[in-house]
Amino acid sequence: MASALLKKILISNPNGVRKAAEIFCNATRNHWNYQYKPGPYPRTPAERAAAAKKYGMTVEEYQPYPEHMCYGDYPKLPDIGSDSKDPYYPYDQPELKRNFNEPIHASQEIIGEDRYDISMKPRFSLLHQWTWFLGVIGGSFALYIFLEDYKFGRPVTIKQYPKDGPHYLFCQK
Amino acid sequence: MGQIMGSYNARNVDLYMDDKPTFDPQDGFSFERKQREMLARDEDLISARIPPSKRDYCAHHLLEYQVCRYKNMPMLYRCAHEKHNYLNCEHQDYVLRMKEFERERRLRLRENRLVGVA
Repeated sequence: MASALLKKILISNPNGVRKAAEIFCNATRNHWNYQYKPGPYPRTPAERAAAAKKYGMTVEEYQPYPEHMCYGDYPKLPDIGSDSKDPYYPYDQPELKRNFNEPIHASQEIIGEDRYDISMKPRFSLLHQWTWFLGVIGGSFALYIFLEDYKFGRPVTIKQYPKDGPHYLFCQK
Repeated sequence: MGQIMGSYNARNVDLYMDDKPTFDPQDGFSFERKQREMLARDEDLISARIPPSKRDYCAHHLLEYQVCRYKNMPMLYRCAHEKHNYLNCEHQDYVLRMKEFERERRLRLRENRLVGVA
């Protein structure tokens, strides 16, 4: 794939060798090159269509981030964490649960499988969880307070030490 | 009276675990009670570094046991008799405390009865 990409760059670009070298050097050294940068924010329908085509989406599903967020024409994708995606679907990249050329969410590094699942559906609702938590803790505490008056120990008097004065046995002198 | 409820109902006369006996130790006996003797000397206990919480009326058994341990160090099974003596003494000490508790409970009940009659 790398050689095909290299050949394409060389043919399409007259002074491509230097540029291609720059792309590969930057991509491997800095994990970035200028082609990763999104284009300017699309204002006209034609620009929107072009941006949608660039990111492999239909015009209907393409939706950029608001301009003040400075994401340019990067598409706003639905907030679905990788953990919530179907694990049995035959993805092209099963490790990332991603298909070839599928646009990546802008916050993918946060909502990946190793981090936070933004669209996680909890098994029990928050109300349910809090009810049970406070019920158990509060119930235990209430029981503790209630039983405070019913404590009892073993039927013994205080331990006898010689320094505490004379003590007596229960037998005759 | 069941054993648990027996000690539980001691609260009716305001008697709880580890309370101090309040009556005169000789009250209600037809004979004079024998006084408990401390057989171990304080200097020995201090010298053997027996902690204060263990310096009770069984300390001389503990001292004997520790001396035996020191003398037979790896062969601690040789001190089984000393250990047994010590634990027996502690048991008897505990039984005595239980008896004192029961005595205290009965005397308090009796006092309440007498007050009620008067």
